[in-house]
Amino acid sequence: MTNIPFVEIKEVAKRWNGQLGVEGINLKIPEGSFTALLGPSGCGKSTTLRLLAGLELPDEGKVYIDGKDVTTSAASDRNLSMVFQSYALFPHLSVAENVVFGLKVRRVPKKERQEKLRRALDITGLIGFEYRKPGELSGGQRQRVALARAIVAGQRLCLMDEPLSNLDAKLRNSVRKDIKKLQRDLGITVVYVTHDQTEAMSMADTVVLMKDGHIQQVGPPEDLYNKPNNTFVAEFVGSPPMALISADGLAGFTEGQKLGIRAENIQIALKGEGRLTCTITESEFLGSETLIGLDHKHATGLCILKSGMALMPEGETIDITFTDDHLHVFDAAGNRMAAQA
Amino acid sequence: MKRFSNFMDSFGAILLAVVWIAPLLFAFWAATHSTSDAVNLRLFSPWTLENFRVAWYGAPWLKYFINTFSLVTVILIGQFILVTLAGFAFAQLKFFGKDFVFILVLMQLFILPEVLIVENYAMVSRLGLFDTILGVGMPYMASAFGIFLMRQAFKGVPIELHEAARIEGCGLLGILWRVYVPLAKPTYLAYALVSVSTHWNNFLWPLIVTNSPETRPLTVGLSIFGAPENGVDISVISAATLMSVAPLLIAFLIFQRQFVQAFLRAGIK
Repeated sequence: MTNIPFVEIKEVAKRWNGQLGVEGINLKIPEGSFTALLGPSGCGKSTTLRLLAGLELPDEGKVYIDGKDVTTSAASDRNLSMVFQSYALFPHLSVAENVVFGLKVRRVPKKERQEKLRRALDITGLIGFEYRKPGELSGGQRQRVALARAIVAGQRLCLMDEPLSNLDAKLRNSVRKDIKKLQRDLGITVVYVTHDQTEAMSMADTVVLMKDGHIQQVGPPEDLYNKPNNTFVAEFVGSPPMALISADGLAGFTEGQKLGIRAENIQIALKGEGRLTCTITESEFLGSETLIGLDHKHATGLCILKSGMALMPEGETIDITFTDDHLHVFDAAGNRMAAQA
Repeated sequence: MKRFSNFMDSFGAILLAVVWIAPLLFAFWAATHSTSDAVNLRLFSPWTLENFRVAWYGAPWLKYFINTFSLVTVILIGQFILVTLAGFAFAQLKFFGKDFVFILVLMQLFILPEVLIVENYAMVSRLGLFDTILGVGMPYMASAFGIFLMRQAFKGVPIELHEAARIEGCGLLGILWRVYVPLAKPTYLAYALVSVSTHWNNFLWPLIVTNSPETRPLTVGLSIFGAPENGVDISVISAATLMSVAPLLIAFLIFQRQFVQAFLRAGIK
């Protein structure tokens, strides 16, 4: 990994008939890294990916790939590959023909094509399926064909648009690992779009969290978790997400401030000795731990985790406590304030 | 009541079938019997193939067959090229005035080709294509029906496939050729069937624009062969008629299932 950006997006904006698409996107992606674009639907993450792919052209700004200005280049001239959410396999072509489609278009000699096909099928575990049509494959197999097509040409940049969203939960886990391993082994740069924060947090070196066409925070997963830039990041990242308490509920903070606290940093206190008194709204048994949802008039999303099976009766009041070290302080606009002493 | 309506359904269908098949059956009957046996409907009279022999030597049928065959082929090729390009443009490209132009194309559906015969005649003459196969086929190549059909078929192709092909390095024509055309195969088949059977049977326009046995298609040749000034021999005319419809009829019988399926598939979209 080097620090010279392999992909760079500068001040890019794209609007749809005056409506907001994405605005002021700045992003530097080093070679060989795994970057996830994360956000709720409609946040502009797919648009950003499509701008990078050349499927859309930006209204403003510049896109550089490998040092070249590709802002107005055609998708085919950008030397990248893409995996689509629906896989976009050609239904009239067999697995092998689908995989070598791009090589054929680019007039790669037949011998070289065969070798590359062989290798790509080998890596994705599709040997033996060469002559099947996509219609005769399962969802997971189709997904692997799409991956094989993306890696066969040896492009250094691979874009993935929610490639796992059509798979069932169990398969998703294993394919997630496969993709990560593939990226490491081949040393390719992956830009990955997802709305699933677990996916983004577990796979990516860098997570780009977006909302309403703007980037909210860029950083390694632990930064997003431990140092959220603003309340949106705080409430989006993590499962359960961060609870927010308004300053009115706690002594010692300025009016308007919001305080974030993660469930694992909250403890149950003896009656009368806690910092907040809350009502239990739900108990959810998760296996290794139990999630207990709490209600307090100055807080949202408050909950605590107790290990093992520890259901608590709803409606009961309990006291909770936490230390100031674990509090994240946000100003009235929702932005993170300098760390507390 | 339900049984009665079921009965009426079947009865109606059978009646229609009989009415439709009757002329063909009579032609078959007449062609295989001598004239007097045929018109008097002598059921046990002897069968003969003599009429076919007489008819075959009565006109340059082989030339007519070749003419019709090249005519439908030329038209089909021209139509495929124009209809594919125009359908693709209307389905997937953005250009100024697209909707307006598309409506103009559709308006063509409302105009009977016969109305334009004089204008077409003048145009074909000006192009120097009078009495040529190309001249006969030319006015039918830019088919509004075909453009509409292909536009619908191309619109049904998922946009991701288009984008995937773009990323894999395909140009616009490459995408059309490698993605859209193969996916629209059933539509092409259905359209080809309609086109071939229409132009195999077309009569009025070829009659006007051809002038010699060198270019005359079957339909025109048959009508000249059967014209009253040659003397009406119902059996020989029937034999000639059967010969000229035979290729299409045989093809239909063989491909009956695909024929119906192609229409169903193309129609569903």
